[in-house]
Amino acid sequence: MLTAEGISKSYKSGRRKILDSLEISIDEGEFIAVMGESGSGKSTLLAVLAGILDPDLGQVLFEGKDLYKLSDEELSDIHKRRIGYVPQSNFFLKNYTILENIVEPFLADPSKEREEYEQKAKLHLEKLGIGDLADRFPHELSGGELKRAAIARALLTEPVLLIADEPTTGLDSGTGRIILEYLSEYVVSGHAVLVATHDDHVKEYAGRVFDIRKSQTGL
Amino acid sequence: MSLKRTKNTIKDIQRHAFLNACLLATVVILSVMLFSVTVISVSLKKGMGNMRNRLGADIMLVPKGEREKAENMLLEGSRSNFYFDGAVYEKVQSIDGISDSTSQCFLKSLSADCCSSEVQIVFFDPETDFVVGPWIETEYKQKLSGDAVIVGSDIVSEDGRIKLFGQEYAIASQMARTGTALDSSVYFSTDAKSELLKNAEEKGSFLTEEQKKGDILSSIFINVDGSHTAEQIIDSAHKTIGDIFDVVYPKKLHESLSGSLGKITGVVNVISLSLGILLVAILLIINSIIMKGRKSEIALLRVLGHRKKDLIRKLLSEIGLISLAGALGGSFLGALIVIPFGRYIGKSLDMPYLGPGIASVLLQILLIVGLVILIVFLSSVFFIIHTTNIEPYLALRKEE
Repeated sequence: MLTAEGISKSYKSGRRKILDSLEISIDEGEFIAVMGESGSGKSTLLAVLAGILDPDLGQVLFEGKDLYKLSDEELSDIHKRRIGYVPQSNFFLKNYTILENIVEPFLADPSKEREEYEQKAKLHLEKLGIGDLADRFPHELSGGELKRAAIARALLTEPVLLIADEPTTGLDSGTGRIILEYLSEYVVSGHAVLVATHDDHVKEYAGRVFDIRKSQTGL
Repeated sequence: MSLKRTKNTIKDIQRHAFLNACLLATVVILSVMLFSVTVISVSLKKGMGNMRNRLGADIMLVPKGEREKAENMLLEGSRSNFYFDGAVYEKVQSIDGISDSTSQCFLKSLSADCCSSEVQIVFFDPETDFVVGPWIETEYKQKLSGDAVIVGSDIVSEDGRIKLFGQEYAIASQMARTGTALDSSVYFSTDAKSELLKNAEEKGSFLTEEQKKGDILSSIFINVDGSHTAEQIIDSAHKTIGDIFDVVYPKKLHESLSGSLGKITGVVNVISLSLGILLVAILLIINSIIMKGRKSEIALLRVLGHRKKDLIRKLLSEIGLISLAGALGGSFLGALIVIPFGRYIGKSLDMPYLGPGIASVLLQILLIVGLVILIVFLSSVFFIIHTTNIEPYLALRKEE
C-alpha cells in the first residue's frame, strides 16, 4: 500500500538531520506503532508518509504513486478519501459543533452527502464513546474527548490508511484503551493504521513496532 | 453559493471577529474617503464647466466701479443692484464687431411678508437673450408674459407660484442647476420691469432715482464676432458710451476659478493619496495578521483534502463579503455626509458646486464598491497564497 525509500529530512532551523535514509512499508491490515524517544523524528516521519511534509530526499509511494510528484488536485483527493491524518494537537473550529467540525470540511457545495456523512460521523462518535457530544462546541470537551473526535473526523471517509500522531499521549488509560481498541477494529476491516507513540500500551495492539532509531542507516 | 455555505462563510468571519471588524472599519473609511473625494471633485468640476457655459458671453459690461459686485453676484450669490441708463444698450448695439448682445437688469427682493423669499430678480429680453434661454430646463410654449416667471433650480414652490412685492407670479419654467448664485434667481421679461419697480417702491423698497426712472439696465452681455477681438469692442465701447463701464470677462473669471480649483484639487489629491496609502498599509497589516492566525486552520483543511484553489476561493469569498459590506456601507455613509453638505462645501471653497443626481451617485457607488473590493483582494491575495502554500505539517507543528 505504501512504501517509503531513502527518506531524509532536516529542518532549516537546525542542522541536525531528523530522518536519514529511512525506509518503511505498510500493507493492508497492518497496525504499526512507530516508537522512539522525544525528538527522534516520529511526527516528522508520519507527516512525510502522510504527504504533508516534503522530504529532502527519497520518495513515498502510495498505491504506486509518488505522493510528492502528484498535482495538488490528486494529492487533495488522496487526503480526502485514501489517507486519514490525526495531528498531535487537537485543532477544531471553535464556533462549529463537533459534528460540523467532522462533516463540513468534507462536503462539497451543494452536497448530496451531508446526511450520509452525518450518520457516519455519529456512528464513529458513538463507538468512540462520545456520541452524546456531537452537538457540543469544542471548548466544552476535554482533551481526550477532542482526540476521539479528531479520530472520528479522520475516519469519516474510511481511508485505507490512518496515520495518527500520538493519539493516546496525555490521556488516561481508559480513554487510551477506547481509542486503541477502535483503531484495532479498523485494521481488522482491511485498513492500515500507523501510530507514532511513546506509550508502551500501544505495543499490545500493534502488529509491528517500528523503532525509528534502529531503522535509520545514517544516525 | 448555497445557503449553508453562506452561513459557514459568515461563521468563519465571526471566528476572527476583532480582526475582521478592523478590516471592515478600514474598508468603510477607505470607501467614505474615495466616495467623498470623487463626488466633491466631480461636483466642483461639473460646477465649473456649467458656470463656464452659463456665463456664455465673451464680455459683460457693468457700470463703472461695480465689477467686483458683479463677479460676487455671479459666483457667491450676493444680491446686487447697479444700473446703467437704458439708452446705453442701444448705443452699444451699434458697435461694429458684435455678433450677439443682450441686456439684463437686476433687482433685489425683500426679506418681508410681501416676498416668498429673498432672491435676485433678473429682467431679461427674450428677443435678444442668449444667456438665460439655453438653460431653461422645462420648455414653456407661450411668450413669457408679465405675470409669469422663470426660476432658478433652487427656488421651490409647492403651488407653482411665487410672491414678489405683494404680487403673485406663475412659474412658467425652471432653469437647469448650475451650482452658482444663478440657481436662486428669478427671471422676468423686461416687459414686467416698470410694474415690478412700482410694486417694489409701494412695498417699502428704497429705490434710487435711476430705478424710479425705470429705463435702466444692469449689464450688457456681448459675443464678439470672429473678425474682431474683445479689446477692439471695448475700445469702441469707450468711444461710443464713454468711460462709464467696467468689463467682466466670464472666461477669465472661469480661468481664475479653474486655477483655484486646480490648487484645491491638488491638495485634496495629496491628502487623499497619503490617507489611501496609509489605509492600504493598514489593510496589508490586518490581512497578514488574519492569515497568520489562520495558518493551522488552513493546514488542517489541506490535510482533510481541500485543494489550494478551493481554499483560496473560500478565503477570497470571506474577504469579498467583508469588502462588499464595507464598501457599500462606506459609500452610503459618504453619500450621507457629502450630499447634504455639498452646497456648504462649494460655498466654503467659493466655488460653483453642482452635486450629482441619483443615477450618478448610484454609478459612483457601484464603481467605488468594485474598486474597493479590488484593492482589498490585491492587499490580501499575497498572504492567502503564501499561507495555502505552507507545508501543512509545518503550520500544524507551530500550533503545537
